[in-house]
Amino acid sequence: MIIPNFTINDFLPVMPTGVLMGAAIVLMLSEVFLTSATRTYQAIIAALASVVAATIAFHNAFEPAHEVLQGYAVLDPFSSWTTVMVCIGTFLAVFLSSGFLKHRNAERGEFYALLLFAAAGMSLLALSAEFITLFINLEVMSIATYALTAFLRRGPRPSEAGFKYFILGAFAAALLLYGAALLYGATGATKLVDVSRALPGAFATSPGLVYAGIGLVLAGFAFKVAAVPFHMWTPDVYEGAPTPVTALMSAGVKAAAFVAMVRTFLFLSKGVEADLLFHTFSVLALLTMVGGNLMALPQRNVKRMLAYSSIAHAGYMLLGVAALFAPKLADATAKVGVLTATPMMGSPVDVSVGVYKGLLFYILGYTVTSLGAFGTIAALERREDETRGNTWDLERFAGLAQRKPGWAIAMAAFMLSLGGVPPTVGFLGKLFLFSAAVDAGLLGLAVVGILSSVAGVYFYLRVVVYMFMRPAPADAPATFRHWTTEFALITSAIAVVLLGIIPGPITEWFSRVGMVFGN
Amino acid sequence: MNSIFDSRILNVVIFFPLVVAALVALLPKDEKGQIRAVTLTGMVLSFFTTVWQWMRFEVNSPVEFQLEYRMEWLSDVGISYHVGVDGLSAALVLLTGVLGPMVVLSSWTFVQERTKEFHIALLVLQTATFGAFCSIDTLLFFMFFEAVLIPMYLLIGVWGSEERQKAAVKFFLYTMVGSVLMLLALFAVYFLAAPSGARSFDYSTIYNGLMGASRELAGYLKSNPTGDGVGLSPVALALFRYGPYLFLAFALAFAIKVPMFPLHTWLPDAHVQAPVAGSMVLAGVMLKLGTYGFWRFAVPFFPVAARQFQTMFAVLAVIGIVYGALMCLAQRDIKKLIAYSSVSHLGYCMLGIFAFTAEGATGSAYQMLNHGVSTGALFLLFGMLYERRHARLMSDYGGIAKVMPVYAAFFLIVTFSSIAVPGTNGFVGEFLVLLGTFKSNLPLAFGIIAATCVVLGAAYMLWMVQKVFFGQVTHQENLGLKDVSGRELVAALPFIVLIVVMGLRPQPILDVLNTSTERFVARAKYASGEGPDNDQKVRVNVRQLRKQVVADATPTPSMDPAQQRQVQLPDGFRPRPRLMPVQPELQPAHP
Repeated sequence: MIIPNFTINDFLPVMPTGVLMGAAIVLMLSEVFLTSATRTYQAIIAALASVVAATIAFHNAFEPAHEVLQGYAVLDPFSSWTTVMVCIGTFLAVFLSSGFLKHRNAERGEFYALLLFAAAGMSLLALSAEFITLFINLEVMSIATYALTAFLRRGPRPSEAGFKYFILGAFAAALLLYGAALLYGATGATKLVDVSRALPGAFATSPGLVYAGIGLVLAGFAFKVAAVPFHMWTPDVYEGAPTPVTALMSAGVKAAAFVAMVRTFLFLSKGVEADLLFHTFSVLALLTMVGGNLMALPQRNVKRMLAYSSIAHAGYMLLGVAALFAPKLADATAKVGVLTATPMMGSPVDVSVGVYKGLLFYILGYTVTSLGAFGTIAALERREDETRGNTWDLERFAGLAQRKPGWAIAMAAFMLSLGGVPPTVGFLGKLFLFSAAVDAGLLGLAVVGILSSVAGVYFYLRVVVYMFMRPAPADAPATFRHWTTEFALITSAIAVVLLGIIPGPITEWFSRVGMVFGN
Repeated sequence: MNSIFDSRILNVVIFFPLVVAALVALLPKDEKGQIRAVTLTGMVLSFFTTVWQWMRFEVNSPVEFQLEYRMEWLSDVGISYHVGVDGLSAALVLLTGVLGPMVVLSSWTFVQERTKEFHIALLVLQTATFGAFCSIDTLLFFMFFEAVLIPMYLLIGVWGSEERQKAAVKFFLYTMVGSVLMLLALFAVYFLAAPSGARSFDYSTIYNGLMGASRELAGYLKSNPTGDGVGLSPVALALFRYGPYLFLAFALAFAIKVPMFPLHTWLPDAHVQAPVAGSMVLAGVMLKLGTYGFWRFAVPFFPVAARQFQTMFAVLAVIGIVYGALMCLAQRDIKKLIAYSSVSHLGYCMLGIFAFTAEGATGSAYQMLNHGVSTGALFLLFGMLYERRHARLMSDYGGIAKVMPVYAAFFLIVTFSSIAVPGTNGFVGEFLVLLGTFKSNLPLAFGIIAATCVVLGAAYMLWMVQKVFFGQVTHQENLGLKDVSGRELVAALPFIVLIVVMGLRPQPILDVLNTSTERFVARAKYASGEGPDNDQKVRVNVRQLRKQVVADATPTPSMDPAQQRQVQLPDGFRPRPRLMPVQPELQPAHP
C-alpha cells in the first residue's frame, strides 16, 4: 500500500473546514460538562470559528488554482470565495439563531454544532473534484440540514418539513450517486479530470450511458439548487424549518450546490455535444426564473414568498450558468428567440470571467440579503403563533415602521435588494449576471429574466407598503428583542447597502483570471 | 471654466442641504425655533449656491454640460458619479433653490408636530431634487429620482390633512410603477447602446450609441414605411422592433410625474392632503422632473419613436389642458382647483415639447419655471388663508379683500401670472408654446384649442378670486382675520418680484434656456433625417473617465466599422496600472 506523501500545502484548502469541524466537536463535548442553561458562549464560539475559517479561506483565495489531495479536491479562487461566503452566512445565522432560540427556550448545544457541520459540508462541497468525495460532502451538508430543519420539535410543521426534506433529499442524492455510477461505468474514472478526459471516447461507444449519467447527475444538483421543476420541496421545507436555518439553507446550501454543479459540468461539458448543456440550462433557467416569480406573486405568507423568491434567484444564477455554456460560434443573424443564442454585436465574447464574477457577487449579495430578510421574519415571530399558522402573514408587517422603525428600514433595504433596485447589492449582482448573459448572446432569456424580476418587485414592494403605509393593528404584540438578532440585522443591512454603493476591490477580486480550475 | 471651484459647485449645490439636514438632526427635538432658523439659514445659503452656479453658467460656451464633475464609481458596470448642468437644468436648479427658503417660511407656524423631522425631510428633498436635475449618469438620475419619493411621501403622509395616508400611498405607488418600467427600459438601452466592455449608464454613451441607429432607422422608415426591418444594422433593428415600447416605458414614468391626462388622478389627492410646504415643492419642482425627463431622456434617446407618438402625446397634452380647465370650473375646493390648474398648465409644457420646434421647446421650458413660481405662490398664499381659517371651500370665504387688503393684492397679482396676463411671466411662456405649436407640423386645431383654453383659465381663476375676495363678508369668522404678517410678506414678496421681472425681462433667462432648446430640437430633428448630416452638432460630449482596463473587455475578433466607432477609446485614454496585476502563475496549472 502506498501511503501518499501529504504536505501541509495539501491540507491548506481544507483548513477552513477543519476549523469549523473542530469548533463543532468542541461545542458537542462542552455540552457534557455544562451545568448552567445559558449557551450564549456557544454562539460566540461558533461565530468565532466561522470568522477564523473565513480568514483562512480569504487567504487561500489568492492562491493559484491547482489540484490538492491527489486530485480529489481543487483549490481555486472560486471554491475559496464560496467558503468565505458560506462562513459569512454561518456567522450571521449563528447570531440570528441565538436570539431566536432563546425566545423559544430551545437553545440546545447540538444546534450550533449542526450549523457548523453543515457549513463544513458546504465548504467541502465547493472544492470537491471527484464523484465519491462530492457525494460524501453533499451528505455531510445535507444530513446536518435535515436535522436542523426538524430542530424545533413542537407541532407537526417541523417534523413534516424535516421528513419531506429528508425523503426527497435522499432521493436526489441517490440520483446523483446513480448518475456518477453510470459515468464511472462509461469512463472508468471518478475523478472529474479523468472523467472529462475519457468522456469523448465513452460518448462515441455508448452515448446512452453518458446521457443517462449526465441527466441523473443534473437532476440531483437541480434538486439541491431548487430549480423548477425540482423545486417542489422548497416552500414547505423553508416554511417549516426554524427561520435562521431557512436563511442559511437559502444562501449557503444553495451557493455550495451551485458551485459544485458548475464545477462538475465544466468538466462534463467537454465530452458531449456543446449545445446539449446550453439548452438544458437555458430551459432550467427559464422555468426557474418565471416559475419562481409567478408562484411568489400570490403569497401572503412572507416566509413562503421568500422561499419562492429564493427559487427565482436560483433562476437568475442558472441564467449565468447557461451563459457559461452558450455556443461559442453562434449565428449572429439568427432570429432572437427565448432559448437561442444570438449575439448582439457580431460574434459572442468570452463571458466566463463575467459569469464567475456575476455568480460570486450574486451569491455574496444574496447571502447577506436573504439572511437579513429571513432574520427580520425570525425577529417578528412569536412562539404563541406557531400553532395558528398566521405567524408570517403580511399583516404582521403592518405599521412596522411605527413600532420598530429600525427594523422596518432594514427590511425595506433587504426587499429592495431582492427586487434589484439600485443602489443595493442585489442590483449590482443582477446587472453582472444579465450583462454576462447578454454578452453571451442570450438576449431572449435575459429579457425574460429582467421582466420576471420586475414582476418580483411587486411582491417585494408589497412588504414595504405594508410596513410603511398601513397603520399598526391595535393589538400588535410587543416584539422580542435580543442583541444578537439585532446585531445580525444591522450587519446585513449595512452590508446590503454598502456593497451596493462601494463594492470596492471585491469585483476586482472576483474577476481574476484563473478563477476556476481547469477552465 | 477651469477653476477648481467651477468643477465642484454642483457638488456643493447638491449636498449642502444634506449637510444642513445632518446639522438639524443633531439639534434637540424641542428647540423648534432653533430648528426653523437653522433650516431657513441653510435654505438661504443653498439658494446662494444655486445663484452661484447660475452666474457661472456661460451662455456662449460651446460646452453642453457645464460645471461638470465626474468621479469614478462602480466602474465595472459603467456607472460614474457624473453631474453637470445645461441651460434647462441650471434654470430648474435655480428654481428649486428659490423655492427652498419660501417653503420653510410658509410652514413656520403651521407645522408644530415633529418639527425636526419635517425640516430634515425638506432638506433631504432639496438634495434629491438638485441631484436629479444635475445628473448626467442615467442611473444616478434614477436613484435621485427615486430618492425624491421618500421625503415627499413622508411630507404628505405625516403632515398632511385628514386623508393623508391614502393620498400618500396613491402618490407613491403611481410613481413607483412608472419608475420600475423606466429602470427596465434603462437596462435595455444600456445593453443596446454599446458593446461589451464599453457599456456605460452615462448619458453620453447611451445617446451617442443610439444616435446613429436612430438616424439609420428614420431613413429606412422614410424609404419604406411598411418595411419589416430587413437589412438594418442590429441596433437599428432592435430600435425598430422595441424602440416604441422602450420609449413608452420611459414616457410612462415621466408622464405619471408630470402628470399627463389619464395618469393625473394622484395629483389632486396629493395636493389637497399635503401640507402647504408639500404642495409648494410638489407643484413647484417635482412635477418638473417629469417634463425634464421627457426633455432629457425620453425624446433624445428615441427620436424616431417620439416622432411616431408625437400626435398621441400632443392629443393627450391638449386633453389635459381642456380637461384640467373644465375640472377647475367645477371645483369648490380651492386647493383642488389649484391642483387641476397644474394639470392644465403642465399640458402646455408637454404640448411645447412635442411640437419639436424651437419656440415650443423654449416656451415649454419657460412655462416650467413660470408654473413653479406662480403655482408655488398660489399654494403659499392659500396656505396663509388655510392656516387662519382651516377651510378649503370657496363658500367659506367671501369679501376677504375688505378684511385682508394686502393679501388680496398679492393673490390678485399671482392670479394674473397664472392666467398669463401680458406683463407677467405666464404670458411669455404660454405665448411661446402656442407660437411653437402653430409653427409645428401638428394640425392647426391643437394650437387653436390650446389657445381657447387660455380664456377658460382666466375664467376659473377670476371666478375663484371673485368668490373669495369680493362681495360681502358672508361669515362672521372671516371678519377677524389678520392681514399678512411680516414673515408672510417676506415669503410672498420674492414671488411677486419674480413674476414681474420674468414677465418684463425674460431675455436673460431665455438666452440660457435657448442653449439647451437648440440641442433638444436638433436632436429630435437629426434622427428624422432633417438638418445637416453632421452628427457633431447633436453628439453629447462629456468629460471622459480614465478608463480602467477590465480583464473581460477583450475586443471581438471581427468588428464592423459601426462597432469600431463605439469601442474607440477617448482622447485622454491612458491605461492605468491595475490595482491587482494579473500574475502569470494564476493561470490554471492543469491543461
